[in-house]
Amino acid sequence: MRVKVKLFGLLRIDSGIKEVELEASTVRELYPLLLAEMRRRDPECSLDEKDLRACVVAVNERRAKPGTKLSPGDVVCLLPPVAGG
Amino acid sequence: MTEYSGYMGKMLMIDLDDGSEKEYPWTDRDRELYIGGKAAASKIMYDNFTGKEDPFSGDNLIIVSTGPVTGTFAPSSNRFDISSLSPLTGLTTSSNCGGDFGFYLKKAGLDALIIRGKSEKPIWIEINEGGVKFHPADELWGLKTGETQTALKKKLAELNGPKGRYGMLCIGPAGENLVRYAAVISGERAGGRGGIGAVFGSKNVKALVSTGSREIKIFNKEKAMEHHKKWTAALKAHPITGSQLPRLGTASLVSSMEMNGQLATRNFSAGRFESFEKVSGEALAEEENITNSGCLSCPIRCTRTVEVDGKKVKGPELETLGLFGANLLNDNLKLVCRWNNELDELGMDSISCAGTIAWAMEANEKGLWDNGLKFGQVDGISQVLEDIAFRRGIGDELAEGSKRLSDKYGGKDFAIQSKGMELSAYEPRRAVGQGLGYAVSNRGGCHLNGGYLVVLEGLGLNIDRQTPKAKAQLCMFMQDFMESISLCGHCLFTSYAVFPGFLISKPNSPISRFVNFIIPHCGWAVGMLDRFPAMACMNMPLIPYTYELKYAVGMKMNIGKFLRIGERSYNVERAVNARFGVSAESDKLPKRLTDVLQDPKDPSSKVPLERMKRIYYRTRGWGADGLPGQSKLKRLGIR
Repeated sequence: MRVKVKLFGLLRIDSGIKEVELEASTVRELYPLLLAEMRRRDPECSLDEKDLRACVVAVNERRAKPGTKLSPGDVVCLLPPVAGG
Repeated sequence: MTEYSGYMGKMLMIDLDDGSEKEYPWTDRDRELYIGGKAAASKIMYDNFTGKEDPFSGDNLIIVSTGPVTGTFAPSSNRFDISSLSPLTGLTTSSNCGGDFGFYLKKAGLDALIIRGKSEKPIWIEINEGGVKFHPADELWGLKTGETQTALKKKLAELNGPKGRYGMLCIGPAGENLVRYAAVISGERAGGRGGIGAVFGSKNVKALVSTGSREIKIFNKEKAMEHHKKWTAALKAHPITGSQLPRLGTASLVSSMEMNGQLATRNFSAGRFESFEKVSGEALAEEENITNSGCLSCPIRCTRTVEVDGKKVKGPELETLGLFGANLLNDNLKLVCRWNNELDELGMDSISCAGTIAWAMEANEKGLWDNGLKFGQVDGISQVLEDIAFRRGIGDELAEGSKRLSDKYGGKDFAIQSKGMELSAYEPRRAVGQGLGYAVSNRGGCHLNGGYLVVLEGLGLNIDRQTPKAKAQLCMFMQDFMESISLCGHCLFTSYAVFPGFLISKPNSPISRFVNFIIPHCGWAVGMLDRFPAMACMNMPLIPYTYELKYAVGMKMNIGKFLRIGERSYNVERAVNARFGVSAESDKLPKRLTDVLQDPKDPSSKVPLERMKRIYYRTRGWGADGLPGQSKLKRLGIR
C-alpha cells in the first residue's frame, strides 16, 4: 500500500523530512523503510528505529498502533512525545 | 524580619490615596503556612476583602509577591506573582510571570509589594532599598509597553546614572483604557490573565520599577549549589525540558493537540483544523524562528524569538498560536507573530482577546451581533486589536470579554469561558479532566489553575482522555502540586521533569502503557493522598522542590507538607472567592462543551462535568455547595 508519511516535532527537524511516500501494509512495516529513507537522504542521520517506535502514530488523524493495517492513500503521522504549554 | 533564608523579611503596603507606606505584618508562621507568591497574596486578600470591593475601586489591591527561591539562582526559579481582584471575573486572579522583576524586588529588600488606593494623576513607582518614590507619568501615558520601558530606562539613567539595573513592570494603552483583560508586561514577559493591567490603569499606575543591592541569603550555600547543579543536569537530560521546550517551545504542542482532537478550532466547535501545519510549532521553527531565549537562571530557555518588521521580538506561545490560529480559522503564521507582538505592545492577554474575537465572529455569523468579523477573514485583526486597546468602535465592546457580550447579545452557549475568563487553547471534550479543571479553577477558564490534566491526557502521558474515572482526584492533586511549585518561585515547566523521562520518550513501551492504563484505576489512592498528604512524609530525588526549601531557605519540608501548602493556598483563594459569590453554580462550562458531542458518533466526546464535580468537591472536603466550610479552613490552619 502506498501511503503518505508525515513527520512532526523534533523528528522532522532532526531528519529534515517533512513528508515522504512509502509502501507498507502496517505501521510496523514503515519503521525500517522510513529509517532507510532518512539514511539515504542523510547518511550521518543520528536517528534510529527506537526513535521512530517511540513516536505517537496517527493514521488519518486517528491514533494508531504498530499493528494497525494501512490502506492505499492513508496519511500516517509520526509525532515524538511532547508536553508543556 | 525572618529566621528563614531566601526571604527578605519584609512586605510593604503603599496607599496611593495619601502616598503613605507601611510594613505589612507577616510572620514566620505565615511563611511556614503559605511560603509566598500567590498563596501569600491570597491570604492577604482573605484578610482584606469583604466581598463588596469593586475591581476598579481604590479598595482593590495589587499584590506583587515573590517566593523564597526567587533570586536564589535555583534553575528556572526566578518568577513572581501578581494578584488582584479581576475586572474580568470579579473574583481573585493571579498571574505568574517570568523575567527579572521578582529578582529586583527582592534586591530592593521586599518579598512583596501591596498597592491600594488610587493616584489622582498618572504615576510610575520606583522601589528601592530606601522605600518607594512616586514619579509623574504624564509623558508615559499613552505609550505602548516597549516604548514605556525604553523611556523609563532613559529617565532612570538621568535620575540615577547610567549604571543602574532595574526590573520593570508596566501597562500599555489597554490597561490605561481599562480593557478587562489588559495585561502587565515585564521586559518581554506578560502577567497576562484576568485583567490586572486594567487594575493598574484604574489606579493610574503606569509602571513599577525596582532596584537595589540587598543580598538574598541562602541557608546552606554549598548544599544548595550542589542541588542546583544536579537539578540543572536533570532538566537538561529530560526529553521535555532538555530537548523539546528549548528547541521548539510550547508551540510544539499544536500538532499533538490536532492528532488528539484537542486543538480548539472555530470557537471550540471542533478539535481539529485542516491547516494546522501552517500554524504549528514546526512551521514556527522552520519558517519564523530565529533563536530561543529564556528567563534569568533558566536552563530550559523556551522563549521563541521571531522577526516582525525587521525587529527581533518574542514569538507566540502555544496559546496564541492555537487561539489566533485554528480557533479563528486562520492559517497565516506571519500574522499570528505580528498580532502576538501587537498584543504585548498594547498590553493585552492573548487568550481572552482571541476567545472574545472568536465569540464575536460566531455571534456575527448567527446574526446576533452585526460586527463585521468573520472566521478565516483576518486581514483586519491588527486594527481590531488596536480598537480594543483604545476602546474604539466595536473594540469598545470587545474590551468587555465574551461573558459580558453574551449577556448582552445572547450566545451564552458558545461563549467559551468559565467564571467570565476565556478558556485556553485545549479543547476539553477530548481531555475531560482538563474540562473539569477549567470549570472548578478559582481563576476561571485557566488550564494551569485548573490542574493542567491535559498533560496526562495525551500531551505527555497518555491516559484515557474520555473517562471521568480518577479525574477529580487527579485534578485536586495536580492543582495543589502546581500551586506549591509556583508559590515558591519555580517555573511550572520544571514539573515536567518530575515525570520519569522514559514515560514520555517511550510511550509505547510496556511500562508506559501499563502506567497509562493503571492511573485511571487509582483514583482511590490519589484521593487518599489528596485527603491525607501527611502520609507522604518523605522526600524523593524526583521532586527537587522540597530539597530546595531545605537547602536554600532552611525550612523543614517533605512531600506531604508541600502538598498541604498547595491545598491551603487553593482553599484560601476559594474562601476569598466565596465572599464574592462563588459556589458550585459558578463552576461551569458553556453548553457547547458539556452538552454537544465533538464527534456525533462518539457519545463520550463531551465533558461529563457534573459527575466529576461531585467527586471533586468530596475529595477536597468541600460541601455540595462547592465551598470549604469553617471546619475545613480551620483544619488547614486558615484563620
